[in-house]
Amino acid sequence: MRPCDLRGTSVLLSVSVLFVQRAKRVCDDFRALDLRPSKSNNMRGNRRKTAYKKTPVHPPRSNKMPVDQDWPSVWPVARVFHPASVPLPLHQGWVEPGITPPGKFANAELMKIPNFLHLTPPAIQRQCEALKKFCTEWPKELDTDEKIDHHFPLQITTSDYLHSSPTIRDARARIVTLQVKLSTLNLNSHAKDKLLRLVKERYDPVTDILTLVAERCPLRKQNIDYAMYLLNVLVSESWKTEPWENEKSEADMEKYVWEGSQSQRTLQQLLERMPNKAPDLPEVIKQYSVNVTRFHNEGEDTENVNAYKESVIKLLGLNA
Amino acid sequence: MLPRCLRALGNPLSIRFQENGILGMIANRHLQFVGINYFSSARTSGTPQGLSLEKCSDKKDTLYKSVEIEIRSGEPAVLLSYEWFTSYAAKQLGITIGKCWAPPKAHHNRLTLLKSIHIYKKHRVQYEIRTYFRHMTYERLTESTLKTFLEYIQRNVPEGVAVKVTKKSVLNLPPSLNDSVRRLSLQ
Repeated sequence: MRPCDLRGTSVLLSVSVLFVQRAKRVCDDFRALDLRPSKSNNMRGNRRKTAYKKTPVHPPRSNKMPVDQDWPSVWPVARVFHPASVPLPLHQGWVEPGITPPGKFANAELMKIPNFLHLTPPAIQRQCEALKKFCTEWPKELDTDEKIDHHFPLQITTSDYLHSSPTIRDARARIVTLQVKLSTLNLNSHAKDKLLRLVKERYDPVTDILTLVAERCPLRKQNIDYAMYLLNVLVSESWKTEPWENEKSEADMEKYVWEGSQSQRTLQQLLERMPNKAPDLPEVIKQYSVNVTRFHNEGEDTENVNAYKESVIKLLGLNA
Repeated sequence: MLPRCLRALGNPLSIRFQENGILGMIANRHLQFVGINYFSSARTSGTPQGLSLEKCSDKKDTLYKSVEIEIRSGEPAVLLSYEWFTSYAAKQLGITIGKCWAPPKAHHNRLTLLKSIHIYKKHRVQYEIRTYFRHMTYERLTESTLKTFLEYIQRNVPEGVAVKVTKKSVLNLPPSLNDSVRRLSLQ
């Protein structure tokens, strides 16, 4: 009997074991051509459930794969897991502890999960070698963040979104955030004060960063242009002095200023009435003014309170 | 951002891009011209301005301080593998890898519905959809490197993964800023 005839018989063996054994015995180059299959004897003695004709299947390709083959040629693109092409003994599936998980053949879990067999290290290396000619080098002089911030003070943040959807577009991609440190804008005190009033909560005093978010236009390019225009307008407006700005009263002041304040006037009156003044009066007054300013601007702190106390004692000449 | 043509994946050794495609600044004709003439001759590995492609397009690369890629999926193992792939590719292309991290817990979207179609209010059934997140940061890229890298990454995104790319570009202050200051101070 030719060895290839063995394939026609149906035996109650597990399929994968059978294939492994058959590969060793059988001529696995070509399938046997059966023009006149022998009639099975289904008479009363041999009658049992009709054995379904098993189509002769090749042994898996992974049996003949050499160890040093070029794997990216075998699996060039992302595809569904194909167990006969992968020469690995993979198992996947949850089972009771102690039992071997199901093998790779006819394993739905292995087929459902995306595999990365097309992105093995040699494949990635080859693809990156081909991509290198499109890349440019980062300038070596800009190696620290401080240098980057010094030379390029303006930062623009944009987002792109990629997800499976009927449409390629995402409305959030138009949002543009512009950030700049105010110290790089070289504003004088009046310009800075006016800018901060215009900008309100968009300025973070801790990091000294002004953040402008532009999302009113439908396209990202338009939003970038709008943000730059906004920055230009803010700076130019803050440098201008309008005539009505002279009406700025003490209630509008953003920080406490000693000159012309009620405290100074009171102190003047007090000093006129005081009989024995301290010897180094101008210095004492100056120290008092500095402490009062700090007290108002920086808030109540134990050291501020103590400094104020010291300056008042010196001013009034109390040596207790 | 989705690839407009998938032909590029056919041959891993040569990657071609459509003319009006994602790398807009490199025209197809210039690409082929460069590929034949410049690639064969010995060339310096990257001046700050890059290759002679710059002369073709006549535009300076904007610089990107950092790129943060956020991926989300229902499978944490897939996210892990994808992060490995992007970091490996970044290393091959010479990109500095920043902080790669994942929040310890997934986002659970839960629904509590009635089990029965009529009455039996006390008997409910609960469904949940879990979304796992992962963040990868890459630092100090030029515009062409960024576009190349992102295109390569996004063509190889596996099924069921959504990507959000946040790019921080650094620019000079607009010259008009100082001009307006000078004009106003002269008034």
